[in-house]
Amino acid sequence: MKQTVQLARIQEKMRPGIITRDGFIGTDRRNLIDILVEDDATVKRMDLTHDIIARRMIDLRDAGLGGLGNFISVTPHFEVRVDSVRGKLPCPFGDPGIFPKTNTTVNNLKTGQTITFTDLHIHMIGSHGFYEGKGSSFRLEPAELVSILEIEKPHD
Amino acid sequence: MITMQLLIGIGAICGVSTVLAVIMVIADATIANYGEVKVRINEDKELVVPGGKPLLGSLMEQKIFIPSACGGRGSCGLCKVKVTSGAGEYLATELPWISEEEKKENIHLSCQLKVKKDIGIRIPERLFNVKEYAAEVVSLKDLTYDIKQVTMKLLDPMEIVFKAGQYIQFQVPEYELSKESVYRAYSVASQPSVKDSVELEIRLVPNGICTTYVFEHLKEGERITINGPYGEFFLRDSENEIVFIAGGSGMAPIKSILYDMREKGSKRKARYFFGARAVRDLFLVEEMKELEKDLENFSFIPALSEPEEKDNWTGETGLITDVLDRHLENGDGTEAYLCGSPGMIDASIKTLTKNGIPEELIYYDKFA
Repeated sequence: MKQTVQLARIQEKMRPGIITRDGFIGTDRRNLIDILVEDDATVKRMDLTHDIIARRMIDLRDAGLGGLGNFISVTPHFEVRVDSVRGKLPCPFGDPGIFPKTNTTVNNLKTGQTITFTDLHIHMIGSHGFYEGKGSSFRLEPAELVSILEIEKPHD
Repeated sequence: MITMQLLIGIGAICGVSTVLAVIMVIADATIANYGEVKVRINEDKELVVPGGKPLLGSLMEQKIFIPSACGGRGSCGLCKVKVTSGAGEYLATELPWISEEEKKENIHLSCQLKVKKDIGIRIPERLFNVKEYAAEVVSLKDLTYDIKQVTMKLLDPMEIVFKAGQYIQFQVPEYELSKESVYRAYSVASQPSVKDSVELEIRLVPNGICTTYVFEHLKEGERITINGPYGEFFLRDSENEIVFIAGGSGMAPIKSILYDMREKGSKRKARYFFGARAVRDLFLVEEMKELEKDLENFSFIPALSEPEEKDNWTGETGLITDVLDRHLENGDGTEAYLCGSPGMIDASIKTLTKNGIPEELIYYDKFA
């Protein structure tokens, strides 16, 4: 698909050393538009939206904050811990504000799987449908994220 | 047809612009020669440095260390300096960190500001006491499943002077997760009387560049580099009762302060509230019990938020803020020292102020 000028500029900001040392694209050689489109298709195939995924991440993050830095049990079978490291990051899409380096770690005790995501992940997924490029250390595979966090389409 | 031509045209312009931008960045980094430039510090000292490099790195090469938690990547916003002359325009990478008031004061991020011409800066005098140390890892000990104690013997210089509660920066060398060396900040857990070594307590952060290195690669006998000390988190000289609150590796600066108090024969009343989830998250409990014997007015109050059945825990339970609320009666004549996650610190400040401890007497080291 054709990359817009705006997305090309954003992709430049995602290169290593611009906002973060390793960037957001990893070893992915595709245009940003293709990364976004492919992940969007994956999410749609699961009958979900990026907003639903981001909201679930926010709910778990907020529940984890209650642990005040320690793991806390979250029903039905999760444990969540919210860690912070010194520093903040701006969004590569140019949105206002900076995001604290807050890591939310979710252990799914039923499956034994663990996933960690940041506040910037939540924002990039919810606002831009961006899960980072393949090969990025911080890439979140949409299907894996949905599986571990047991995300389902809300019932009407 | 016209649309197709238009798209091709836009694509071509976009491509050319991108290539030109990349060429300019590469040229600036490799071809441009700014010669030597002068950095005048506090209208007093003058350094001559190679032009074109970030101020933070230029100062570091001259053994002047500005606090930075992200290793100069512009993601922590800590390395601010006041530029008195020769600053130039703000870079886009600086702007998220600089307030309107700071712009008026000409405050810049030293890691982003490239020194391309003579420049004047103002930095706190105490930063001249910060030194770089070559050190050797002499001990690595698991305190819990995710907290490691790292002890380093100083080689050059062989002694460090710091205040209990301050932090150092640990240099992580290049390795598989990091293409270049980076610095991370950790509180010193040993007390200031131990001048020839430094002890840290490091909790594993998922995907963390430094903590992954420490947990999976660092070996006893390895040579590493640290610099410091930094920070304003230290015990104030007063007669006030003290409330310490920590969780996880927030134990480190509090331990340093308590050991220092013991050595100085402090008689101040002090209570230490330490929050953990279960017994497996507790550590240095025996050391704290020893301190209770040695410091006549000190008590250690560990609290578990979710003790496991096998723990047979009979101590305090609940979130550390709930436990704190149960114990605090009157905040008059009390000051508090907090180290831990931002969530824990924010919640604790609310509980402390609700119980009458004024905010100006609450000191904290937030992991943020």
